Parts: sequence; structure tokens; C-alpha cells
Amino acid sequence: MSITAIKAEKMHEPPATEVKSFMKRKHAKRSFEPLLYLSPTIILLLVLMVIPVYLVVQYSFFDNVIITQFPKFVGLRNYLTVLQDPTFQIAIKNTIWFTLGSVVAHLVLGLGFSVLLNSPSLGKFSRSIFRMIYILPWIFTVAIVAILWRMLLDPVGVLNYLLIRLGLIHVGVQWLSSPKTALIAVTVINIWAGYPFYMMSMLAGIQGISKDLYESARVDGASWWQSFFNITLPQLKPIIISMSILDIIWTSQQFAMVWMTTGGGPITSTQMIGIYTYQQAFGRYEFALASTSAVLLLLFSIFLSVIYSRLQRRRD
Amino acid sequence: MRKVQQRARRRQKTLVILALIPGALFAGFPVLWMFSNSFKSNSDIFAYPPKLFSKTFSWSAYSAIFGDSEKVRFFINSYGIAIAVTILTLLVSIPAAYTFSRFEFRFKKTLNGIIISLQGIPPITLMIPYFALIVKLHFYNTYQGLILTYMVFTLPYAIIMLTGYFNTLPRELDEAVKIDGGNAMTALWKVLVPIAIPGIVTVGIYNFMICWNEFLFALTLTKTNEMRTVPVGIQLLMGQHAYKWNEMMAMSALGCLPVLVLFLFFQRYFVGGLTSGSVKA
Amino acid sequence: MRSKGKGFLASRKAVTLTLIATAAMALGYSAPAQAAPVVTISFSQWWEPELPTGALQALINTFQTQNPTIKVKLVSGPYSATKSQTIAGAATGTMSDVVGLDGAWVSDLVNQGALANLDNSLARVKFPVAQLAGKIKIHNSTYMIPVVNYIYPLFTNDDLLAKAGVTSAPTNRTQFAAAAKAISGLGGNVKGWVIPLSQTNPNGIQNDIMSLVWASGGSMLKGGKPNLTNNAAVKSVVTYVKSLWDAGSITPGAFTLSEPDKVTEFTNGRAGMMIDSLSHITQIKAADPALHFSIHALPVADGYTGKGGIPYASWGIGIAKTSKYPAQAAKLVAYLMSAAVNTKLSDLGHAFPGNTTSVPTWVTTDPMFKTAFTIYQSGYPANEFTGLPKADDLMLKFDTPFQSYLSGQITVDQLLATAQKSWLADF
Repeated sequence: MSITAIKAEKMHEPPATEVKSFMKRKHAKRSFEPLLYLSPTIILLLVLMVIPVYLVVQYSFFDNVIITQFPKFVGLRNYLTVLQDPTFQIAIKNTIWFTLGSVVAHLVLGLGFSVLLNSPSLGKFSRSIFRMIYILPWIFTVAIVAILWRMLLDPVGVLNYLLIRLGLIHVGVQWLSSPKTALIAVTVINIWAGYPFYMMSMLAGIQGISKDLYESARVDGASWWQSFFNITLPQLKPIIISMSILDIIWTSQQFAMVWMTTGGGPITSTQMIGIYTYQQAFGRYEFALASTSAVLLLLFSIFLSVIYSRLQRRRD
Repeated sequence: MRKVQQRARRRQKTLVILALIPGALFAGFPVLWMFSNSFKSNSDIFAYPPKLFSKTFSWSAYSAIFGDSEKVRFFINSYGIAIAVTILTLLVSIPAAYTFSRFEFRFKKTLNGIIISLQGIPPITLMIPYFALIVKLHFYNTYQGLILTYMVFTLPYAIIMLTGYFNTLPRELDEAVKIDGGNAMTALWKVLVPIAIPGIVTVGIYNFMICWNEFLFALTLTKTNEMRTVPVGIQLLMGQHAYKWNEMMAMSALGCLPVLVLFLFFQRYFVGGLTSGSVKA
Repeated sequence: MRSKGKGFLASRKAVTLTLIATAAMALGYSAPAQAAPVVTISFSQWWEPELPTGALQALINTFQTQNPTIKVKLVSGPYSATKSQTIAGAATGTMSDVVGLDGAWVSDLVNQGALANLDNSLARVKFPVAQLAGKIKIHNSTYMIPVVNYIYPLFTNDDLLAKAGVTSAPTNRTQFAAAAKAISGLGGNVKGWVIPLSQTNPNGIQNDIMSLVWASGGSMLKGGKPNLTNNAAVKSVVTYVKSLWDAGSITPGAFTLSEPDKVTEFTNGRAGMMIDSLSHITQIKAADPALHFSIHALPVADGYTGKGGIPYASWGIGIAKTSKYPAQAAKLVAYLMSAAVNTKLSDLGHAFPGNTTSVPTWVTTDPMFKTAFTIYQSGYPANEFTGLPKADDLMLKFDTPFQSYLSGQITVDQLLATAQKSWLADF
């Protein structure tokens, strides 16, 4: 899919000049050299990425794969089954909310924190202290994130205790085990775990913006907000867009954290595509249906990847 | 006049710090709580009202982990695998990124496009066929299996980032080497790599983090406890019959310390590397 | 299609009889003197972490001494990890040679063709199959043998009960509800009853909910098919649990609690009562030696006087069809089932033996286990999920609407109709 998209784009390129095509031919003679340097990458990705993808797509068109030796070809039946499954529909809905919530919050927090951390009025020492604290969530593996937050969000845990002391609530909220709050709770956990990477990228982006732009804006009498909206944001736009796309891809496939905190429950309130896929495979041994749901997720990701790679190219 | 300016600046600094505090609490409190609980006794963790510092401060959870050779092995495995993947990924991705940055060849755009879109493949998609494949390759429950798997996840990003980084380095550098009679690889390893260190460190840290944190494949592609990594080890502690919260917290604390140290050590490089990488990539 | 441990029933009688079992001991293994090459077989199970440290390895060492040509590699992990590993192993042909099994997995593993027929394996090593207390059969062939069995009694925290003014452990549902309410009234985050309803591992439906149905002689099946609608026994239990839920007598957060959480809540004095496996007694005592607790028969429906089902779980054993060393694997199975070793395993885990001629000593040495044995004798072993297809999925399919029902989103009839419909689809 991505290949055709890229080819299609190629056709829109301006026609190559004579000189360029001559150079290409000259290089083509030596094209064994680039191929040599690329061969480890190509072999690895071919064996461990392209073949598995091919297999999983193949599985999705068969019946009872893996558990029987001679699966039957069923065409698109698995796709119909999965798409009509009410649990899958709930999973899609929850995944969308979870992803949207996470991505928006990641960007807002990432941008906000990086602007604050980059503030010129902050001393060198306090800057590095705060940067260190702000980056902390990033160093945790998902298993730790899940355990840590299960403890914090326990109905008689520390968060509820603090909220009760502050008079914000009267009885402990069952953050992860109430159908009303569970999706919000796992989204908050994901926001916590994921914003630092965006913050760091934004920070890097902001530091890459030329100081002259701000200086001339200051001379023109622009306020802080004006220079933020007229300089910082437009300059960061390419990073913001590509980070958002990557984040959507990463977040929509989240599995481990949700599995270890709520397991998709209570009821179906945190059921997501990743959980659905895992349950089909390891709870019901429906490896074909699991593959189907995985392929649907894959199609969505490829769609976004194509957009992403087009944007990348435009920036080059 | 100067005094007024100074006062204004100080007021601005106070405002910025005040604005940073809530975020720092959000980011740091869970971490503080983790460390504090790792020093408590198991029953103190359940005390209500909860206390940040308990009277029964003890290192017993840590000594329990260090005294258990199985758990120490989790750490050794995690380190070994993460370091191996980091080095191997760099060895493979540096020439690849260099090729994308400096050579013109057929299918360059196609290949580049494929690598970019491979980033978008959800690992969970690959989980099902992976069993079969890794087993067929006789890599089930081996270090090689995990290392190769992780390389597949780290390579695309590493190549994209490094290509962007090499693009920012002037071509005259490698041309000079060629004039002196060196080939492309000399130019790459002798000239470009040394000046690309910030970018390479960034990519390296990123690779290390991916391996150190990976859970799903570490769980499914290994079988015996001596092959398990830290994330899976923590989850195994969780699956035992009753929780030893203090030990789980101690193991979590130990699990994040190396990354913390790594980060502190390379912090300067890291931001620098991201600057050129993500802006230009 | 399935057996419900009919033979296991016999073991109860057998245990009470003191039989001379020494003759059987030597049968499981013979010492091959010839210089055959040493083979290594793997044995995956979740038992090692649950037994005293080093206990299982010691038994294996003895086996290796007796069989110098066989090396056994223990592949140990917690229950849930062992479960996913076994399923993944079945799918890819990487299952250990000898596998620890739960009755709930057997049907699916057999459908995948992952397990070897044990009737043949045991015949090969001339094991006296008549001694086996139970066999899990699918299509008339044995695929799992329960090595040891654990019953699930009611655990009470006696300090909490006393503090709440409850003088004797509840025996029927009214007393149980009253006790749970009184304990929850103590405040300080203490609740009367803890039930784990997590969807990550939904076995709370089996151990904590359906067990109440079985205890009062009820059944969730009829003629081997799901029977949840128009079933007074099941309906009365779910409405009963809902009444305790609404009364605030159940530990909050139940929807995401799993079995380890349950034990943790109980051990730390935050829950007054729980239904749990006898196998956890060792761990509870180790975690808090000062905890005063006792075990009792499950509460029954008010006025019920008939015999009750005792929920149980087995540490089952099977052999992988893909094993390259089926003969050696069979020897290990025979060794673990032999009367002497089986007695030792039962003693170590405080379990009921899977060999009818084994006589565990713990029954007489520890007063708590004496009670357990009395409970065990007063009823019949019951676990209707054993041998059912996709048993775990059935629990999940009950759990999800059950949570909706407890949250007040659907009625009891909607719950049972939903579960019935999705269960039928799996059968």
C-alpha cells in the first residue's frame, strides 16, 4: 500500500533533467555499493518484518489457523465477523477516545512544559533540575507504570487520601474499577508515561529556532503570546505534525499497560483493539480472528504512515 | 531603571517556577511514592492514612532482590540484551543511514518509504506469526531471538533519525576523504561518525530504552526464568500468590536507575541530538 | 466429552482407608543400568513457586538419582504466566515435555492436538492406573491426571470477626451477609468479603461465585450444556452477591482485583472473609505469622441441608504430543503419581492426593487441615468448568455482564440471558 502511494507521488515530480538522468545511470553502475551497505538492514527487515506481516495477512483469510493443520480459506468472513462483533466496535470507540485524549494531552503538555523549561528567566540550575523531574516518567517500563499506578489509584490509596484531605471528594473513588472512571484513569496513566518524549522533541525544536526571529519580534514590540503564536508554533509545526502521527500510531496499539491495570474492564469500559486482539488469541484461541483485528489495526497504521512519510518528504 | 528591570525579571522567574511546580508534582510524585514504598514493610504500605516516610525504614526489599540470583539474572539479561541491540543497531543503521544520505541509487525513495512506514507496524500484529517464525529459526527462548526482534523495532527509527543527522553534515567532509584516496566507509567511520556523536548517542539511548522497556515480546518469546528480562520479572512478581509490594517497588526502582544514570550522563548530547535529528529528519 | 473427576470422588474414601501402598511405590520407575545417553526433558508448572522453596527440586533430584539417564529441567512461573506459555507452546509446538495443567485448559489443548494420550503413556511404564483418583478424559482418552487437588474453603479473619461481634463463622447465606456487614461496619477500610472479578484472569467467577452455586447443590449446566436461564440456584447466588455489593460489604475495586489481590487484601487484614484455595495457607502464614484465621465450609442457601459441592482445583499433569522423549516423560508422570511421592507432594502443599493409595500425614498433624478434611468429607468435589471448551472465555463471558449487573446497568435476567447466549456460542 505504501509502495503504491510513494510511486504515485513520484509521478507528480517534475521531469528529471537530462543531466540528472545521466548521473543516475552512472551511479546505477555502482549501485552494488549502496546495496552492500543496506543489505543487513534489508535482510533483517525482510525476514523479521515483511514475512510476519505477510503471514498475519494470510492468517486473516483462513479459518482456525495455528490450532488446526489444514486451515480453510474463508475469504473475508473473518473481517465480517470482527467488524460486526459489538465488543470490537466498543474497542474501536474506546481506542479512539484513549488515543485522542492521550495525543492531545501529550502535545499540550509537551509544548507547555518545553516552553516553560526553555524560559530565559529560568536559571541554569533550576532548569536542569526541572528538566530531570519532568523527564522521570519516561524512564519507566510499562510493567512498572502499571504497578505504580495501580497502587496510587487504589480505592484506599494515596491519591484518594489526598483528595479526601483536600475536601475534593468524600469517599474514595474506584478509579480503575468503576466503569465511569476507568477509561479516564488509563488515559491519564498513558499521558503521564508518554508526554516526556514529546516534551524533549519540542524542547529540541524550540532550541533550533533562530534567536533572531524572537529578537526582531521584540524590537517590533510583539508580546510574549504574539511571538509564541507567530514564531514558536509555526516553526514547530512540522515536529508537531509528525509527532502527532507517530503518537497516534503508538497509542492506538497500546496493550500492555491497559492489560496490566484493568484487563479491558470493568465491563467493557477499557476494551481496546490491542486487548481485543490478545483476548482473541490467548483467551479464545481464535488466532484467525486475532490476526484479522491485527490487520485492521495495521491498515489504519499504514494509512497514517503514508501520510507521515509524505510529510517527511515534503520537509526534505 | 535597572532595579525595576531586575525586579521584573525576578518576578518572571518566580512565576515560571510556580507554573512548573504542578507539572513537577504530576511527573515526580509517583516516582517519589515508588521509592518511599520500596523502603517500607509490606504492612506499612497498607497503612491508612498513607505515610510518605515510615518509621520502619529498611533495605530488606532490596536485599531480598539482590539475594535472589533469579532476580539478579533478570537485570543481567536486560542489560545484556539492551546493550547488544544498541550496538548492533548502530552498526547496521549507520552505514544504511549514510547510504540514504549520500548515495543516489535505484529504488532509494521506495526503500526509504518502506522503512518509514515499517515504523507504523503495530508490534502486536507481529506477535502471532512471530512465535512460529522464531521457533522455526530455533531462536525461541534465546538471547538471539530477543536481540533480533528488538533490532527490527529499533532499526527503522534509527535509520530515519541518522539519515536526517547525516544530511545536516556538509558533503565536503567526505569528498575530502575521497580526494585523499579513501573510500566511502573510511569517510563514514573516520570523519562523519566522530562528528555525528550527539546524534548517534541520542539514537543509542533511544534504542536502549526501547529494549529495556519492551514487555510483550520478552514475555512471549522466552520461556524459562533465566531468559526473562526486568519488565517480565516484575510482572512475574505480580503474579505470585500475594503481592510483595515493597519488593515490586524495589525492583521497579532498581529497574529505572540505570536509565536515569544513563540519561543524566548523556543529557547534553541527548537534547543536542534531538535538535538536529527531529528538526531535520 | 468430559469427566468431572468421578474417580477423584473415590480418593476421599481411599484416603480414609489406610492402605499398604508400598508395593506401588517401586512401580513408577525402574533403574535402567545400561549406559543409555542422558536426555533432558522439561517440566513446566506453576507449582514450584507455591511449594516451600526447593521442595519440588528436591523431589526431582531424587527422580534423577533413580533415573541417571534422565535430566529434568523445571520451567517454573506463576499460574497466569504458565497458562499463556502453555497456550503459546501448544500453538507453536514448543510446549515442555511434561506440562502442569489446569482442568480448564485441557479441552482446548486437546482440540489443538497438543497433548498426548496418557492411557498409552502410562501403559508403557506399567503404571497401575487403578490407583489414580481422577482422570480428565476427552473423547474417552485420558489427557490430564490430577496430581494433587485443592479444595476452596471459606477463610475467615477471626480477629476481625470477633471485633465485629461475630462469634461463630457463618454457615448460611443470611449469617454470611450479616457477618460481612458487621465487619464492613468496623470502618478503617476493612470490608467483609473480597471477591476478585478482574478480566485479566477471570477465575474469580469459578472460585468465588459459581462455588456458592455448587456449595448448595446447584449446577450451571444441564446435560453438559449451559443452563443459566431459568436456573434458581444460579439466580439466587447472583442476586445474593448483588445484595452484599449494594450493602457495601464487598471490598471496593473488585472489578480489577485478581486472585493475588484477594489474598493480599485478606493477609493484610483489609478483608474479613474470602473463598480461597487451601494451597495458599502456607503463603498466608508466611506473610503474616500473627494473623488469626480459620477455614470453614462455604455458606449454603438458608435451610439447605443436602450435600454440597466443594469447589476444587487440581494441579494436573500431561505430556506434550510433540515431546521427543515420551517414554522419559511418562516415567516422570508415573514417579509423581507413585504413592510415596504423591504423599510427599500432598504434604508439602497441604493437598489431597491424586493417588488413592497415598495417605498424606498433614491431615492428622495440623488442626486446620483436620477441619479441611472434615469439610472435604462432608460434600463432593465440584468444578463444572473443568474440561469445558474455552473455559476461561466462559468465565470472562460471565464476568463482563456480571459486572454490568453489579453496577446496576442491567437486570439479573438480562445478565443470565446474555451469559447463556454467549456460552452457547462457545459450546
